Amino acid sequence: MDERTFERLAQEYAGRLYAVAYRMLGNRADAEDAVQRALMKCFAARASYSPRWAVSTWLYRAVANVCIDELRRRKVRGHEESLDDDRIAAGSRGSGTVRGIRASRGGIGGVASTRPASIAHRVDLTRALGAVPREARMLLALHYVNGLGYRELAAIRGITVNTVKSQLARGKAILKQALEAGGHDGSN
Amino acid sequence: MDRTDDVLRDFFAVTAPAGLGGRLRAALREEPAALEALIDRFHVEASERGVARLSYGRGRDVASGRGRRHAEQARHELAEYLAGRRTFFTVPVDLAGVGDFQGRVLAEAERIPFGQVTSYSDLARRIGHPRAARAVGNALGANPVPVIVPCHRVIRGDGSWGHYAFGGALKTRLLELERTTPLLIGCTSTRFVCRRGCAHEQRIGENGRVVFASVADAASVGYRACKVCKPRDAAA
Repeated sequence: MDERTFERLAQEYAGRLYAVAYRMLGNRADAEDAVQRALMKCFAARASYSPRWAVSTWLYRAVANVCIDELRRRKVRGHEESLDDDRIAAGSRGSGTVRGIRASRGGIGGVASTRPASIAHRVDLTRALGAVPREARMLLALHYVNGLGYRELAAIRGITVNTVKSQLARGKAILKQALEAGGHDGSN
Repeated sequence: MDRTDDVLRDFFAVTAPAGLGGRLRAALREEPAALEALIDRFHVEASERGVARLSYGRGRDVASGRGRRHAEQARHELAEYLAGRRTFFTVPVDLAGVGDFQGRVLAEAERIPFGQVTSYSDLARRIGHPRAARAVGNALGANPVPVIVPCHRVIRGDGSWGHYAFGGALKTRLLELERTTPLLIGCTSTRFVCRRGCAHEQRIGENGRVVFASVADAASVGYRACKVCKPRDAAA
């Protein structure tokens, strides 16, 4: 894959990769950093890209790997679930290369949902998403941001289709419960 | 498909910030920081018990007999570490020349996990001398085997770097390297999860790697822990 083709792909997928990272990491600065790192890794490894793979699988796996590793660091630092930090805060971009190590979690630089879902929904769901186990959360993000099917999700995370189904069901049940507890109509 | 799906699809639809594409394009054109070349700037002194000194600058490795093997192993592991392909060292370290207090400080520093940082005062507390933060700093400053004994993972309580024997710039680069190197790698074909740097992990092809946040997470989706590198200990 040549440089120009890769750049075009990066442009095409940037928004969707960002949406996945944002819902996993909960703030704009970390999400953008994760997309950048994932794309740089793919760019460096573009010679080993195999056309047997869908480009989307390759890119989504890269961003999933970066996000999951970032969540590991937060777990060790003892403030993993910053996803419920749904405040509008000044999310400075943080140019320091070791920003993550200093643990300066920027706030959400403007919660940006494309459609006007109610804020109450969003806050409930953001909080509930923090309670969803990481693997299920990743599958939910990939599934709902991109509409990816079970087979592609399985390929991205290197797991079986049955595991994808059970993890998605588990995650969705937690979110549905949050919606119902919050008095929102998330049922049939 | 039920209404929950609609609500969730709406919730997960996030608009990318303005200018994201341009920033990514610029990032792709940046030269990646190449730390690998630094391996030529290190020189190793090893005894038959292990690596006794690691210095930064020009010079040849000093070792004889069995020490030569330790020096070669240290150089090999350091090169992998600097290339982001290793998260732990297995080469033995010979700290026979250091005093009791410094030995305890270095042993405690060695327990700071890859990619994490702690403060001088925290380290002092952990070795039972809560008021000895400055002495801890001095002990770390005189660390004979930096990088392998990771004194770069100790920073000031206010978040600034503090002193580093090999210079502040290198400390920043090492911490940045650790921030961007994943620790737990799963192999999609064998469904084993390893620490990065394990011999089994190094055999995984580029397209067969997935990252996990913990061994428990990996187990929840059908992966088993490698028995050689014991990732559970590293990512507890």
